[in-house]
Amino acid sequence: SEDTCPPQPVKLSLPLVYQQKLFEELRKENELVVLARGLGLIRLVTNLLHSYDAAGNNLIVIVNAEDRENAWIGQALAEHAAISMSPKARGLTVVNTDFTSVGTREKMYAGGGIFSITSRILVVDLLTSLLNPETITGIMLLHADRVVATSLEAFILRIYRQKNKVGFLKAFSDNPDPFTTGFSPLATMMRNMFLRKASLWPRFHMHVAQSLEGKKKAEVIELEVPMTDAMKEIQTAIMECVEVSIHELKKGNTGLEMDDWNLDSALLKNFDIIVRRQLDPNWHRVSWKTKQIVNDLTVLRGMLQSVVALDAVSFLQQLDTIHAAHSPQPGSNRQTQSPWLFLDAAQTIFDTAKRRVYSGRQKAGPDTDIDSLRPVLEEQPKWALLADVLEEIDRDLYFEPATRDDSNGTILIMCSDTNTCRQLRDYLQTMHVKPRTEKRVEDFHDPEEDRPSAAFMMRRKLRNYLKWKREFAQVSATLFSENQKALNGAVDPRLGQSKCRAPPNKRRRVRGGGMSGAGSSRLENGSIGQYFEKPGEVADLMAEIQITEEEAKQKEDVIADPLEDMDDYYQMYDMKDLVVIHAYEGDQDEHVLEEVKPKYIVMYEPDAAFIRRVEVYRSSHNDRNVRVYFLYYSGSVEEQRYLSTVRREKDSFTRLIKERASMSVVMTVDAHGIEDPQEAFLRTINTRIAGGGRLAATAQPPRVVVDVREFRSSLPSLLHGRSMIIVPCMLTVGDYILSPNICVERKSVSDLISSFKDGRLFTQAETMFQFYKSPMLLIEFDQNKSFTLEPFADLSGSVASVSAANAGANDLQSKIVLLTLAFPKLRIIWSSSPYETAEIFERLKSQEDEPDPIAAVRAGLDKDMKAEEQAFNTEPQEMLATVPGVTPKNMMNLTLETENIKEVANMKAEELEPFVGKEAARQIHGFFNKDLIEDY
Amino acid sequence: QALPTRSSGSSILVSPRQKGNPVLASLKSMPWEYSDIPADYGLGLTTCALFLSLKYHRLHPEYIYTRIRNLQGKYNLRILLTMVDIPNHEDSLRELAKTSLVNNFTVILCWSAAEAARYLELYKSYEHANFAAIKGVQATGYAEKLVEFVTVPRSVNKADAVALVSTFGSLRNAVNADPEQISVIGGWGEKKVKAWCKAVEQPFRVKK
Repeated sequence: SEDTCPPQPVKLSLPLVYQQKLFEELRKENELVVLARGLGLIRLVTNLLHSYDAAGNNLIVIVNAEDRENAWIGQALAEHAAISMSPKARGLTVVNTDFTSVGTREKMYAGGGIFSITSRILVVDLLTSLLNPETITGIMLLHADRVVATSLEAFILRIYRQKNKVGFLKAFSDNPDPFTTGFSPLATMMRNMFLRKASLWPRFHMHVAQSLEGKKKAEVIELEVPMTDAMKEIQTAIMECVEVSIHELKKGNTGLEMDDWNLDSALLKNFDIIVRRQLDPNWHRVSWKTKQIVNDLTVLRGMLQSVVALDAVSFLQQLDTIHAAHSPQPGSNRQTQSPWLFLDAAQTIFDTAKRRVYSGRQKAGPDTDIDSLRPVLEEQPKWALLADVLEEIDRDLYFEPATRDDSNGTILIMCSDTNTCRQLRDYLQTMHVKPRTEKRVEDFHDPEEDRPSAAFMMRRKLRNYLKWKREFAQVSATLFSENQKALNGAVDPRLGQSKCRAPPNKRRRVRGGGMSGAGSSRLENGSIGQYFEKPGEVADLMAEIQITEEEAKQKEDVIADPLEDMDDYYQMYDMKDLVVIHAYEGDQDEHVLEEVKPKYIVMYEPDAAFIRRVEVYRSSHNDRNVRVYFLYYSGSVEEQRYLSTVRREKDSFTRLIKERASMSVVMTVDAHGIEDPQEAFLRTINTRIAGGGRLAATAQPPRVVVDVREFRSSLPSLLHGRSMIIVPCMLTVGDYILSPNICVERKSVSDLISSFKDGRLFTQAETMFQFYKSPMLLIEFDQNKSFTLEPFADLSGSVASVSAANAGANDLQSKIVLLTLAFPKLRIIWSSSPYETAEIFERLKSQEDEPDPIAAVRAGLDKDMKAEEQAFNTEPQEMLATVPGVTPKNMMNLTLETENIKEVANMKAEELEPFVGKEAARQIHGFFNKDLIEDY
Repeated sequence: QALPTRSSGSSILVSPRQKGNPVLASLKSMPWEYSDIPADYGLGLTTCALFLSLKYHRLHPEYIYTRIRNLQGKYNLRILLTMVDIPNHEDSLRELAKTSLVNNFTVILCWSAAEAARYLELYKSYEHANFAAIKGVQATGYAEKLVEFVTVPRSVNKADAVALVSTFGSLRNAVNADPEQISVIGGWGEKKVKAWCKAVEQPFRVKK
């Protein structure tokens, strides 16, 4: 009954059989669709939306769409409406920021149409009945894989389903993975979405396979490229660093399960994420060192990718930066440094990376001990291959020019990101420019000379690099001057190794709070020192790569090119044989294919979804031939990752199909038996509300005023689950108002740490006491985090750790102590999970009066300030809070008087002074304007 | 015999009731002495603590109420140092949350005797401390502050921060830089560039 036939036929753009089947199914049923990535999920969604849009007279809400999906849907609906000439079509309205005022929103909703609404706004509008759930025709939920029981989206669906039993609900996902982890995950997630039917569409689905494997198949040529020896060496060394880091982690954190770990897993897995996930339950308790090593793992994984993606010079530059960022802070010792930096393998990484760019050479002459540097400039092996491929295509076009075909002669090159786009563009533009540095008059004509080469580009990069390095040395000196001074003494950092080994286990007692002044041995602690070339060496190198006459003819060095719009294609030749370079961008790539209509595609880097998009594209058009060249480095991260992505998706679908087969059993089984108790928590309440019986008995259901920013957490959803009335308000003071007296500031453990750090909590406590009799601090642990603050480290302690001189400088416990001393009347509530918090709130509220929302909103507001002006953007505020001179006190004023960070950064001290005072103004101005190159 | 209580204020006062509590064995960094006080621990002129093990509390739920009553109004800050030594702590903690409100005390949870001792030591040691450390006025070096500032957007890491400022020479130039200029820096992918530019340009206050 929900889907009455559209009054007029609509024109769809779903040429393939599986697309049409899915569409028909979706028109009829409420279901969850999981479609393999690359098979055109958004296209399906837009077609479906259009069929409703054309019918008119409805209110459809899209939940969980990302910005670019909104852009696509909006555009597609407009196009469809034009093509179908449907007078009733309204197109898409996006409600995605707080600037649409309440009144406007109300009017818009009343008018109906298709809305894509940010979840945080939608939940508030539903709770306040600004958008009455009963008036909604249907909900389309995207990224259904992200909807867990406590998510905002599940909350939205619960409110919707409580009041609206007839509206449709269709959920979409192109990521099967999350539906396969945990206990009967598919059934669980479907319950969260109030859906009973799952429709699964893997690539091996019969209709999909038939649609894509017919006569119109795309031709794919795989090209396996070996890495250079240097690249392999670097990769091996990085993996060794990864292994040692993981070993260190295991030592410090028993219970870390990495048993199946081997070196290959480094290529295969997102090991840093795996480790993070395992440590997460105890993240607030692990040592500083553990956190650092986990960060190291992320850095190392990035390096594994960079070594194949970046050119040799850029890779070296990135290593320089990484090295500087990880160089020891003043006062550090071996204990506080990243362990991988001490390894020989790290030395290998840095040395080999440098050797790919330039190398030392003995100078002829008497002073033979002076090394001179000579450029090496190793090229990425894929470059030459790319040139070959393009040549082959040229030949191909020349010999068979007139294949009757609807596609353009265009060559589309796809790569992973815009940086690679830029790299390839540079290479292709300059591969035939010969620098000819050596005076090789005597040479024969060498056919190799005519081969395309990156020499010109790489020499230019090296020049820029050397220039950059000079400045970088300065900046690094300014920033890390302390350690720099120690560094200057050490010629060869490795020399220090033997010296530094201080006798272990012999702790010296240090008097007073000062750091032990062992400055002289700092870099001699065995870590690798950063190498800055001596000026003489650089001069030689510079001379070697001076701009030759040939090079000078080329255009100016491109340092920053105006790429205003990343969607732009790089146009190189005339229309006829255009080469287009583009980065993979998910569903957007479909547009690229449709617009470019390429006859040849070079996939410079592998991407499983894109291959499917090509298949879909090819099969959708009768007369567009496509040949795909597929390049990958053998034995590299990119190869392994590609293979594992494909495998994992297939496995996930297989498991999903299995679970679905047995699902009818799971769905009807006794809900209190095997079910996760937390899931049960929400569900028992649901039925209670749905039944309505018990609620009617109490005269007035308990009420909680909740700050709208709190909807990012799961607590409001759980309170709602406890049958409390949630009143969303813009609060200045407190997060939850339980009664006229009780005001609660909620902090997760990580919030707690950061709000101590910037002093926010202190200010919040102060203001709470101005307006409420019983302010409370709620320390809320995560459901799956261990409920303890006790650190893994040894507590029994040194006198220094409790000394008043550095009060609060240490751990969280010491800060909590200070806070309670500062506010003896502040009550602290400890909660082991948001579920527990909901229960505690219920208990606290008993025998108290209900809170007054209006009073709650007024609290802390200037008399003439409207509530809506209080809405903050958190990120810029957080940044501002880190600026020296900015205090929680003067920040309010500063953010009132200035627009954004950019404005503050560009203000003179005198301009800042009226808002923050003289000293703070000086500090703020100094912070932004410190010249890192000149000031050293 | 009763020694003259000099009560120099430098040591933690311990009620004889606490004899045998393993927490005492862990009190190592601060001196302590027995004293006849209504609380379990005297942590300064205006601060005291009662010690409660949840295991005990479950068996003798009325005990703690008697103790609180006996404190009368004597201390300004009354800590209920609660040892979480049972797995099913939820009911007890719910109850304590409510009573802390009614009976005016502050619940501090600890999970071991060592941690409990540390809290006691901290309270005593911070008796006259100032609150600078939690007011957000910590002195750190320029580099650290700078890295902290640049890495507020979630995707930006420390190496990116160094790369950014070393390219532009000063933070102000980095703030003013165009997205195109930033995106040529190694490590600064599209996502990071967008996140950074949004953070520096987004207004502090949401407009209506």
